[in-house]
Amino acid sequence: MSWEIRENLTAFSRFLRTASLGRSLLGLLSLALVLLLAVNLATFVMIGRTAEFNETIDRNVRVQVAARDVLTRLVDAETGQRGYLLTGRQQFLTIHDEAVRELPMVMQELDDLTASDPEVRERVDRLRNLARERLGVMDASITLARSGRAGDAVQIVRDGRGKELMDAMRLEIDAIDTIESERFASRRQQSEWSARATIGVNAMAGILVLMLAGIVAWIVLRYLREMQAAHYELDRINANLENEVRDRTGDLIRANEEVQRFAYIVSHDLRAPLVNVMGYTSELEQAGKVIDRQMAKVETEAPDLMERDALVAVREDVPEAIGFIRASTEKMDRLINAILKLSRDGRRVLSSEPINMTAMVGKIADSVNHQTEAAGAEVEVAELPGLTGDRLSLEQVFSNMIDNAVKYLDPKRPGRIRIEGQDLADGMVEYRIIDNGRGISDRDHERIFELFRRSGKQDQPGEGLGLAFVKNSIRRMGGDIAVESRLGEGSTFILKFPKRLYVSENGTAS
Amino acid sequence: MTTPVKIVMIEDDHGHARLIEKNIRRANISNAIEHFADGTSALEHLFSEAVLTNGPLLILLDLNLPDMSGTDILEKIKSDARLRRAPVVILTTTDDKAEIQRCYDLGCNVYITKPVEYESFSEAIRQLGLFLSVIQAPEID
Repeated sequence: MSWEIRENLTAFSRFLRTASLGRSLLGLLSLALVLLLAVNLATFVMIGRTAEFNETIDRNVRVQVAARDVLTRLVDAETGQRGYLLTGRQQFLTIHDEAVRELPMVMQELDDLTASDPEVRERVDRLRNLARERLGVMDASITLARSGRAGDAVQIVRDGRGKELMDAMRLEIDAIDTIESERFASRRQQSEWSARATIGVNAMAGILVLMLAGIVAWIVLRYLREMQAAHYELDRINANLENEVRDRTGDLIRANEEVQRFAYIVSHDLRAPLVNVMGYTSELEQAGKVIDRQMAKVETEAPDLMERDALVAVREDVPEAIGFIRASTEKMDRLINAILKLSRDGRRVLSSEPINMTAMVGKIADSVNHQTEAAGAEVEVAELPGLTGDRLSLEQVFSNMIDNAVKYLDPKRPGRIRIEGQDLADGMVEYRIIDNGRGISDRDHERIFELFRRSGKQDQPGEGLGLAFVKNSIRRMGGDIAVESRLGEGSTFILKFPKRLYVSENGTAS
Repeated sequence: MTTPVKIVMIEDDHGHARLIEKNIRRANISNAIEHFADGTSALEHLFSEAVLTNGPLLILLDLNLPDMSGTDILEKIKSDARLRRAPVVILTTTDDKAEIQRCYDLGCNVYITKPVEYESFSEAIRQLGLFLSVIQAPEID
């Protein structure tokens, strides 16, 4: 598992190190994603700040209202007190009492609102003390008035202490008001600034995302254009390649024809001097016989004249020389004929027809029956897959192969030859000729397919043509031949042919 | 009264020419033999007035000549109104079936492959000798 992860990481880092379209796109998309996240975050912060701001403003206003309320209650209380002092009517006292009863609640609210605000708190404390003192002054005058000393009570009002206290409170409240107003203004400025910042960040991010999108579009477009160009280039190269292949094939066919023509001409022109060598060798032989007869006559009629050396020369040396010349020329003629045959075979126009291989190979096996029976050998032909090909070539090939198998059986054991075959997956057919004959040494596995080359003990007639011819033939049909063999154990020849031979205009496999 | 058949041998290889001649002589044929080593001089001779008016002919023709192909000569002979009746024996190293067929198509009378085995060659020439002694080459008018 961890190995897998490491593997993935390695692949990923390799991906990152390699400049590619994928890497560029991934980079740009990551960047865009980061930008969006930043915008998101900024917006979040902004919303938080706005909420905070709203709350602050709310408190500012409430502080201002509460402070005013405190003053209002005191003014109400003062109004009630003064009415009572002036008129002595009890209903004014009710107004006063109500205001005095409400004052602590209003004061408490102001306390609560400013609990965590030392700057305002200080003023609220002072305000509370002033209010208490003011109430005390009021109470004193009312108490005096109640006890019938109205003059003393008015005197207290006249002293002006109450007005002083009220003015001081008004100052405090104005101060609180100012503080809260200033705060409100600064908060609003902050809020406006952060709103602008948010808008700015949003706008910037928007522009960046648009730019990234533009870059991505440009990269993709460029990539597509490059692909298109590469595609055209590939088409062009392919077209060129086809032309080149055609040219080369043409060259090869011409070269092949040239070689065949060359072989044909050479073998003809080589035969002409051979005819002379052979003919005049015979003439010499004839002449030798004439001389021999003449010598025989001399021998009987005048033995003294007879030289022993001359007799040996005429009766032994000359016939021996002639014998070697003749054997060599005959061999040379066979070799030339072999080249001629190969060259002719190479020029033969192939045909293509469906062939029942089991029947064809069976017939060839029957034709060697008398040889195999004499040697106590057996040829077994399994059910063979058929093919469409050149009948004559295939007959010659299998004839050669079976002849060879019979020819090179090991006399020490009963010969077993088996021919089997199978269809291969790639549109080819494979046939195997398996024998338990004398086998072929490793170093000769290539050589045996060469012209005039033979392997092992040279105890069988032949010029080393068969396999060269077979290979040539199989190659012409687009097939191949190989050998598997161990010396002294047997050989297996593996022949492959296309299931269907297509013959082109010039009669070769295509 | 018949004039003896004259043999015209067109053969570029002097060795072959000599061997053929020897074998013809050995087969007891004593007709005059005229030898040409190339196609041009042979045609010149064959188409000269003297030859055309002078008795029957038998032509021995080699196919591989330096200056032209034997089949060209054969074609010329067989397309001439007077020479076409002269029997033509092709003597060549080629045993190519297509070529043999072509020679017969062009009107050659006998096709002999020069074999390297001398015995069969001599045999062929001897048979040619027999052939020569048996046939009555038609008169050329």
